Amino acid sequence: MAHRIVGQPLGKLEGIGKVSGQARYSGDVTLPGLIWGKALRSPLPHARILRIDTSRARALPGVLTVLTAQDLPDILVGRRMFDMPMLARDRVRFVGEKVAVVAAVDPDIAEEALALIDVEYEDLPAVFEAVEAIRDGAPILHENPGAYDGAPSERPHPNVQSVLRFKLGDVEAGFGKADRIFEHTFRTQLDHQGYLEPHAGVVAIDDDGRVQVWASNKMPFRLKELLSHALRLAPEQIRVNLTPIGGDFGGKGSLMDLPLAYHLARVTGRPVKMLMRYAEELMAGNPRHPSVITMRTGVTKDGRILARRVKALFNSGAYAAFKPAPSVNLGGAGMGAGVYRIPNLLIEALCVYSNNIPCGHARSPGEPQMVFAGESHMDMIARELALDPADLRRKNLLRDGDHLANGHHLEHVRASDTLEAALKASHWAEPKPGPWIGRGMAMTHRHIGVGFTNARLRLDSGGTVILSIGLPDTGTGAHLVLRQVVAEVLGLSLDQVEIEVANTDDFETDSGVGGSRVTHTGGRAAYHAAEKLKTQIEAEAAKHGIPAGSLAAIARAAAKDGRTLEAAHFYDAKAHAAVTSFTAQVAEVAVDPVTGEVTVRHFTTAHDVGTIINPIGHQGQIEGGLVQGLGFALMEEMKTEDGRISTLSLGDFKLPTIQDIPPLTTVILQDQVGPGPFNAKAIGEGSISAVAPAVANAVADACDVRILDLPITAEKVFFALREKVAR
Amino acid sequence: MIRLTVNGTVHELDVPSYRTLLDCLRYDLGLTGSKEGCGVGVCGACTVLLDGKMISSCIALAAFADGRSVTTVEGLARDERLHPVQQAFVDAGGFQCGICTPGQIVSAKALLDANPKPSDDEIREWMLGNLCRCTGYYKIIESIRAAAGRSRA
Repeated sequence: MAHRIVGQPLGKLEGIGKVSGQARYSGDVTLPGLIWGKALRSPLPHARILRIDTSRARALPGVLTVLTAQDLPDILVGRRMFDMPMLARDRVRFVGEKVAVVAAVDPDIAEEALALIDVEYEDLPAVFEAVEAIRDGAPILHENPGAYDGAPSERPHPNVQSVLRFKLGDVEAGFGKADRIFEHTFRTQLDHQGYLEPHAGVVAIDDDGRVQVWASNKMPFRLKELLSHALRLAPEQIRVNLTPIGGDFGGKGSLMDLPLAYHLARVTGRPVKMLMRYAEELMAGNPRHPSVITMRTGVTKDGRILARRVKALFNSGAYAAFKPAPSVNLGGAGMGAGVYRIPNLLIEALCVYSNNIPCGHARSPGEPQMVFAGESHMDMIARELALDPADLRRKNLLRDGDHLANGHHLEHVRASDTLEAALKASHWAEPKPGPWIGRGMAMTHRHIGVGFTNARLRLDSGGTVILSIGLPDTGTGAHLVLRQVVAEVLGLSLDQVEIEVANTDDFETDSGVGGSRVTHTGGRAAYHAAEKLKTQIEAEAAKHGIPAGSLAAIARAAAKDGRTLEAAHFYDAKAHAAVTSFTAQVAEVAVDPVTGEVTVRHFTTAHDVGTIINPIGHQGQIEGGLVQGLGFALMEEMKTEDGRISTLSLGDFKLPTIQDIPPLTTVILQDQVGPGPFNAKAIGEGSISAVAPAVANAVADACDVRILDLPITAEKVFFALREKVAR
Repeated sequence: MIRLTVNGTVHELDVPSYRTLLDCLRYDLGLTGSKEGCGVGVCGACTVLLDGKMISSCIALAAFADGRSVTTVEGLARDERLHPVQQAFVDAGGFQCGICTPGQIVSAKALLDANPKPSDDEIREWMLGNLCRCTGYYKIIESIRAAAGRSRA
């Protein structure tokens, strides 16, 4: 079907404010009488708090108040499991945990006051590695985790937050029939989402006693619920005002400092701003879980997979509070099955407490970890069986009618087409251009997200259609996509449709941004609202004998009758569609035989997608996710020493720069089967997860060295090469 | 008391000696276009021009700019018309969340002032100090190419 507006490569028209410096992020919000909050953080990974003396800080001119846990109600916060105090009460469990908070007239005075707070601690034994945390006799982080609200019931060890299991067939019977069984263990690092806007929030109590919130939070309606719980206020007492968000990648869904900002505002009667510094982000944000993953796979001698058992340990840190899923685990664990039909499968993922920074969701939560393990494992098996890694995959790819690890039934499976497209575009079968150059492939897939969104449309008196939506702009270009959908349905030009960002008073609810859902849920809400408005416009035009295209005249005619033409739609998708989106990628790398440095010479990424609504935004998601994947593969690592993060700035914790990006070939396999508007699918999380294994497999191909733990640094390759020579 | 010319307007301000130029712009002058990302001069989100030269305003003191001229992202558009670099970033999708964008645009403007027809290598060399987590940089390069009036290298 041909479209007029959908599919047009429209630039980022919603972003005039972003290029001119006029866009107001939550950290830019200012109010009369605004003061600043800053938190004092624990320097110890596990300790009892014996005494806190705030008297010297209180005496500093410009300081308005200092609060400790004694000044706050004893309420635990979280997103699904409520196990985290707003301020540590009698015990700290990680370096960076908040123990006191100061309000002052300017940020520098607030910071100075922190240095004047005296805290006396008594060290407690600490545990840092997930494997050690679940041994008998390990220091226990929480005495009775099962008693926390939202805590899952299964708990094989007191330091286990949650267990997530996926099971198909009979895994032991499958191994019994296998000709060969392979087992490998992989490790992935602690990694920050890397958004460049640290968490920011402003809280004010207005003249009516309502709590006004501006926050870098991508789920404003859920935020309202969580604040209502944390502050013991009725939901209608809280209004979350939407602002653009300076990067999310899964990390901007929690309360973070907002409850403290509220209490400071309550005590001082002034609006309070709290901005995290980047060092605080790296010390106490909610980064991607590090993992230890063991994959055991049984195959026939010609390479058909009969059984797989996956054990994953996710080191979740001191609290489970940042995980939003009901399982209090990472759904990405299901990707232990990869893109393969595995008749007998058992995946078991444990999220484990330790005295480290609490972890949360990051773009495609759990999947980059699991796909690195699974796709490295596949190449290692292919090598043992003397098969081309492409052939091993071909024998086992998902097909129509197959089921995912969670039992979800699939149709219209394009795994094979996607793989072949990537192989062709990357010249997989051709000789490599020289020695120390290797090619590696990896595959993954990502669901099209579900959730619920409200959209409202009205025709204003000037003939412009106004779309009101409660989804904040996290940078994905979703607002432009929604305008394109509405313009397409109504037969309008793009400039006849404007967007009006709502606040939490304007709608009942909305599931917010995340999980590859917005084009689907927001798009469908906007689509159906537009259809309803179209019917009204046509009826009104017919009634007054006005051409249906003369919107201003129609609006005026309706206004004379005392009416405004408007339509709303609530779209709620509970179950995933039977389609998913496949990705196949090929990295070509060069390894420096002297230093071990890995250079990505070329990267090919192939995606099975639906209707593309905005090609510029779509490609932007592919490129951004891919480079994030390269950072995960090659350089990003929050290093810890006894729970202390030693990479506390963006100079030490290295994100990819403009110099680090490889020449890129993108292959798009477009189809017409998505659940989104005009059969769109999802793209935001499709390009990140397979990058690291593609690079690891290319390194192995280049120099016969297998790196089992991320990131693949020059140092690791150098020592592995030396070890190989020694053998 | 310091005297700053910001985007052509002279300001006389009484600021504490420890005030950074970034905080002075954002909180004393209300120019919140320049952003604090890393806060240690690495990410480039706070980039402004001081007498035409790029600096990280998060690690410069306001007093350091006394008697000098500062250009921020807010000073680039003329009479509601975007600067060609700004327009190119909009047209080519050179940003997503936008938090690094003011710094990217100020740096790109400085590049094109110094070298109106940069090669891709020159773009990558010059823009090294501006991190972006959203775009993967491909469309930033494309935007700067477009602003320089060429399509591809």
